[in-house]
Amino acid sequence: MFLIECKCPNGMYCPLFKVDQMMEWSSRRSVVRMNGDKFRRFVKAPPRNYSVIVMFTALQPQRQCSVCRQANEEYQVLANSWRYSSAFSNKLFFTVVDYDEGADVFQQLNMNSAPTFMHFPAKGKPKRADTFDLQRIGFASEQLAKWIADRTDVQIRVFRPPNYSGTIALALLVSLVGGLLYLRRNNLEFIYNKTGWAMAALCVVFAMTSGQMWNHIRGPPYAHKNPQNGQVSYIHGSSQAQFVAESHIILLLNAAITMGMVLLNEAATSKGDVGKRRIICLVGLGLVVFFFSFLLSIFRSKYHGYPYR
Amino acid sequence: MKSSPNKGVLLQYWLSGALGGWGGTSDGKHKASTNAGGSVHGNSRPGAAGGGGGKVGLSGGLTQPAGWQSLLSFSILFLACLAGFSSRLFAVIRFESIIHEFDPWFNYRSTHHLTTNGFYEFLNWFDERAWYPLGRIVGGTVYPGLMVTAGLIHYVLNLLHITVHIRDVCVFLAPVFSGLTAISTFLLTRELWNQGAGLLAACFIAIVPGYISRSVAGSFDNEGIAIFALQFTYYLWVKSVKTGSVFWTIGCCLSYFYMVSAWGGYVFIINLIPLHVFVLLLMQRYSRRVYIAYSTFYIVGLVLSMQIPFVGFQPIRTSEHMAAAGVFALLQAYAFLQYLKDRLTRQEFQTLFFLGVSLAAGMVFLTVIYLTYTGLYVRLLTCYAKIHIPIIASVSEHQPTTWVSFFFDLHILVCTFPAGLWFCIKNINDERVFVALYAISAVYFAGVMVRLMLTLTPVVCMLSAVAFSSVFEHYMGDDTKREKPPEKAEEGLGPNIKSIVTMLMLMLLMMFAVHCTWVTSNAYSSPSVVLASYNHDGTRNILDDFREAYYWLRQNTDEHARVMSWWDYGYQIAGMANRTTLVDNNTWNNSHIALVGKAMSSNESAAYQIMRSLDVDYVLIIFGGVIGYSGDDINKFLWMVRIAEGEHPKDIRESDYFTPQGEFRVDKAGSPTLLNCLMYKMSYYRFGEMQVRRGALTPPGFDRTRNAEIGNKDIKFKHLEEAFTSEHWLVRIYKVKKLDNREPLDHKLRSVVPKQKYTSKKVPLMLGGEFALQVWRDSFRFS
Repeated sequence: MFLIECKCPNGMYCPLFKVDQMMEWSSRRSVVRMNGDKFRRFVKAPPRNYSVIVMFTALQPQRQCSVCRQANEEYQVLANSWRYSSAFSNKLFFTVVDYDEGADVFQQLNMNSAPTFMHFPAKGKPKRADTFDLQRIGFASEQLAKWIADRTDVQIRVFRPPNYSGTIALALLVSLVGGLLYLRRNNLEFIYNKTGWAMAALCVVFAMTSGQMWNHIRGPPYAHKNPQNGQVSYIHGSSQAQFVAESHIILLLNAAITMGMVLLNEAATSKGDVGKRRIICLVGLGLVVFFFSFLLSIFRSKYHGYPYR
Repeated sequence: MKSSPNKGVLLQYWLSGALGGWGGTSDGKHKASTNAGGSVHGNSRPGAAGGGGGKVGLSGGLTQPAGWQSLLSFSILFLACLAGFSSRLFAVIRFESIIHEFDPWFNYRSTHHLTTNGFYEFLNWFDERAWYPLGRIVGGTVYPGLMVTAGLIHYVLNLLHITVHIRDVCVFLAPVFSGLTAISTFLLTRELWNQGAGLLAACFIAIVPGYISRSVAGSFDNEGIAIFALQFTYYLWVKSVKTGSVFWTIGCCLSYFYMVSAWGGYVFIINLIPLHVFVLLLMQRYSRRVYIAYSTFYIVGLVLSMQIPFVGFQPIRTSEHMAAAGVFALLQAYAFLQYLKDRLTRQEFQTLFFLGVSLAAGMVFLTVIYLTYTGLYVRLLTCYAKIHIPIIASVSEHQPTTWVSFFFDLHILVCTFPAGLWFCIKNINDERVFVALYAISAVYFAGVMVRLMLTLTPVVCMLSAVAFSSVFEHYMGDDTKREKPPEKAEEGLGPNIKSIVTMLMLMLLMMFAVHCTWVTSNAYSSPSVVLASYNHDGTRNILDDFREAYYWLRQNTDEHARVMSWWDYGYQIAGMANRTTLVDNNTWNNSHIALVGKAMSSNESAAYQIMRSLDVDYVLIIFGGVIGYSGDDINKFLWMVRIAEGEHPKDIRESDYFTPQGEFRVDKAGSPTLLNCLMYKMSYYRFGEMQVRRGALTPPGFDRTRNAEIGNKDIKFKHLEEAFTSEHWLVRIYKVKKLDNREPLDHKLRSVVPKQKYTSKKVPLMLGGEFALQVWRDSFRFS
């Protein structure tokens, strides 16, 4: 700590000592936390012989910034890849400034959105390209690494800690199913239960035809809330996109129509009271007709210029 | 069974309703359909006749109804084929007999090469007009089934002295094959359920938009014939599993061979059939029939598929084919154990042994299948859906599917086919296992990628037909016959309810037919080579700029001229203008495409360097600002930038083309890099002088596509000159100038002004001279 107090002859902090201090911090934690004071000393103040990547963020829970948390994870992955790579040197440091610890920095840099990634080069002021274009590229650590390689000529090979959660979940599921089978080994009739299998097959079909795969890949919001009047719309206006809620509605509609068809068939084939069967038949018919017309009207509202009702 | 004739009549009525939906312009359509309708007719006869024969055997004594039944089913099938054929002719009637879009132009060009130069010349064809300067070995890099089919039809017709142009064969190939698809779907569904469902399925597949999207007249593409091959292979497979005869299996292999030669989607078959066998083994439905069918299919199919040059040794190398090999090994082991079980006596030991080995084999197979499917899954997800490689992400077919596209392409069928699946699983047998697996795998792949909706469509038609058919079977029975056996009287639901249900179901089907016609006519029947615009009074303007420009290229440029354009237009330039292209729609070489993208997105002098190095003579671009055509090159421009950035990150940056606010604008606020790049300059050259909408209050240089006044109106070229602009400015062609004879100096020539200064400086020297003179005089005086 006393190194900081040591002053260079010209009255400024000596770059040599500053870089030593930064090395010490980053050997302890791959991302150095900064407050306003530290930021001005180690990042802003000019005599430096190292580049700094700064993430401006708001990680406090009361800020409710979920993007910040995701970005932080990616950033940690990147910083760790750098910290434990063989090319680790004192040319580049990763730091973070939280809004609640250094609000003055945010004001000073005229910054009003978080998270923001900035690069402070060793020489000169940050240019326009030194601010990472989060909107366009996203914050995947590979993209960050590419940007850093572009700005500083330091190549970082991103090494993600392998994700075991999927494997563990699979193993758990397999052992659960196996255990269940073992416990009920005397009565394996339920494997031959056609209804169960048919249900499972229909679940897959409904999930796919209602566009759950699209949701999985594109990650749309659950529903859209209009900021002006607070109205929540569950149906996306364009035919090119959908909300999660919308796909759930469609799933239910499809399932209802299918159930109607099955009921129609049940009513005709089952052997029972005629009145009861009549009711089943009418219910089935109602399900098919009503929900299909509902589905058609949703489709019409999305597909502009569709002429039929 | 009894309700079937009635159903037939109603179907016929419904079909005629579907046919009537097109309005009055059916004269030309019928004229066009007579020719190809004949071939459909000829092919359909054996299948339908066989069906009729089977019915006679089933119905036994009731000869008269059976005769009616076969006649009715034959005529329904024929009408379905006809409906399928004629509903695909919108584009031919509205425009003309022309090849559509992009890929079909390449197929057409290679078919043309095949018919003019013969088969062996086609197999060895090295196309030096594509991918200049690399060229392309066409024979070894295409699925030749499509070209060979079209070439064969053309050959046979010419042999019979029916002289048609190869283009007409190509245009009408897909509709003819859709008729064949309807027949094979009928056969497959009849094997799975019954004849009524088969007829319904044939009607569905004939008009369903999900299949029409790839098989309208003029879309001469692999998928058009591949769906027929797919359905027919499945039919023969089901047939061979049912009978266990080598004859049907060999037929299945031959059909599979045709499928392999036609489309890369054969991988779907070679994974689905082993999956079927595997599930049958799991369900303990193993039988000799399955063993014979699969062993024969695997060996013969493998050998046959390796005969296609483009496939080559892939079936024994790549992971997609490994599941089939694993199932083959498993089946042999299982059969061997079955054999041992008959011979050995010690039952206890036997079962233990059997259990252990089958478990081990199952584990091995599961790992294989796991590796395969994760590989497939990862490839499907990362390659196509995610935005890792811009050139793949830029193709709109490779996107995941929203529910809207499912509904748009399948309408009522998407809601009812789960019911069919339910009935199939509830009444399971060997072949219904197959259709259930088919449905689940196809629906998964269709969810991942819009393009694979095509493989889902047939199974949806079949299962919906099962659902509708079972409802009709119960609700459309004629009551007069039902009253005859008195013991059934108590189970009747009453004629009122029955007729209501029937009417409403028919209404739904009617809506489906109307929807199909509307979608086909509006969404899937534009050739995209010829555009049409409609005025307020309904009259039509044909915009034929593409062909105009390509024809100009063909007539006015050197035969070996090299034309640079974005890759979308490569096949069309090669097909219509017959000129050498740098990149085309076969996007195998990313770096070459990136180089073209870099040239388009650099400034003129940097682009000139690239174009010189690529020997470019002409540059062709598509510009829609005059007529408001949204698919033009400026709208695709960001993809060019992205692809170029992927290969040349130091020179091209996507962010340079955006405004500081992150917008892509072409007006004055646009980024200077964009306003000075080659693509912008070529698109808007002299556009600033043009008043687009006469009478309206738009300034000159107003881009109708992007609704903005362009930002750079003063565009001058140094290395290019405008060669051709089509009537509506849709296509603009620029000539790349050769280097000047002498390198122009990059600095200004020295002007003569300093000389004058020099003379003026002489004045003091003159004074000096006088002084010297005086000195001389002085010296003279001294002497």
